[in-house]
Amino acid sequence: MIPLKFYLALSAILFTIGVVGVIIKRNAIAMFMCVELMLNSVNLTLVAFSSFFHDVSGQLFVFIVMTVAAAEAAVGLGIIIAIFRNRESLDVDDASILKF
Amino acid sequence: MSDYLTIFMFFLLAGLAIGSALALVAQRNPLYSAISLVGVFIALAGLYLTLAAPFIAAVQIIVYAGAIMVLVVFVIMLLNVEEEVRQPLRLRFLVPVAVLLAAVLFAEAAFIFFFVNEPAGGGGNAVTTLNQAGTGLTANIGAGLFTIYLLPFEITSILLLMALVGAITLSRRAAVRPSELVVPGAQVLPMHIVDPARIGDATPVEAHTTAESAALSGLFDRAHERE
Repeated sequence: MIPLKFYLALSAILFTIGVVGVIIKRNAIAMFMCVELMLNSVNLTLVAFSSFFHDVSGQLFVFIVMTVAAAEAAVGLGIIIAIFRNRESLDVDDASILKF
Repeated sequence: MSDYLTIFMFFLLAGLAIGSALALVAQRNPLYSAISLVGVFIALAGLYLTLAAPFIAAVQIIVYAGAIMVLVVFVIMLLNVEEEVRQPLRLRFLVPVAVLLAAVLFAEAAFIFFFVNEPAGGGGNAVTTLNQAGTGLTANIGAGLFTIYLLPFEITSILLLMALVGAITLSRRAAVRPSELVVPGAQVLPMHIVDPARIGDATPVEAHTTAESAALSGLFDRAHERE
């Protein structure tokens, strides 16, 4: 059958793609979606370990991670709307007053 | 036969997930990125099914592909986001360093993938044994969630409440500004409560502070009478 490390390798690939997306994207919403991709790859790791070791804790943790992602979506999109209202742009390079 | 089907499903779904993730990063229009992300979520839900976790697969579709992505697409549509413009690379001298570090990371990952063996206790299980154990069934998840993990569950509800309040605070406009007539903390009372004889009197009391308005409307003396 499919060994555990195939799932872990797929999770690592997805996480890396998410990190690359956060680094190279300049649109705030696109960066937000890449963060969601990273959360999902970690969820895949947790579910794989949970299933292969017959322990339900991993899947409960996935449940809680999903709740945190929902909270993050609400607050993050609120911040994005506030930035857009102030600057008429979602480019994160335009919101660089705090940058030294 | 079932083995080959499971292997085929894994590689199909893994390819769909990786392809959608690459499309998510490569697209310049955020709306196309959002659609690609929905593809990743659906592929991951299928992978959860191959891992015998039907509850998490259902929640993945409902919460992620349903609720969160609808919220994201709604915000994209609301803000009328323009396409990203490619800008020339700054800090070009860091490119060789990045290639080197990526090669090191890739070598480490490949070493672990090919040379580290799985533990004897849990690894290498067939999906049939996964199904027999019933780890991912909804009843088991509910039993775990409301017994040993009850405190994290309750903390999660507080987190959601905080997110609700935070989202409202961040995205609302400052609708009622403190003006000269309405002082923050002041109450707006009908005049006949202050003085029963002046029922029907709609004259506004202009004052700059709460104490001033109380003195003008005669509330000040009555408050001291009560003490």
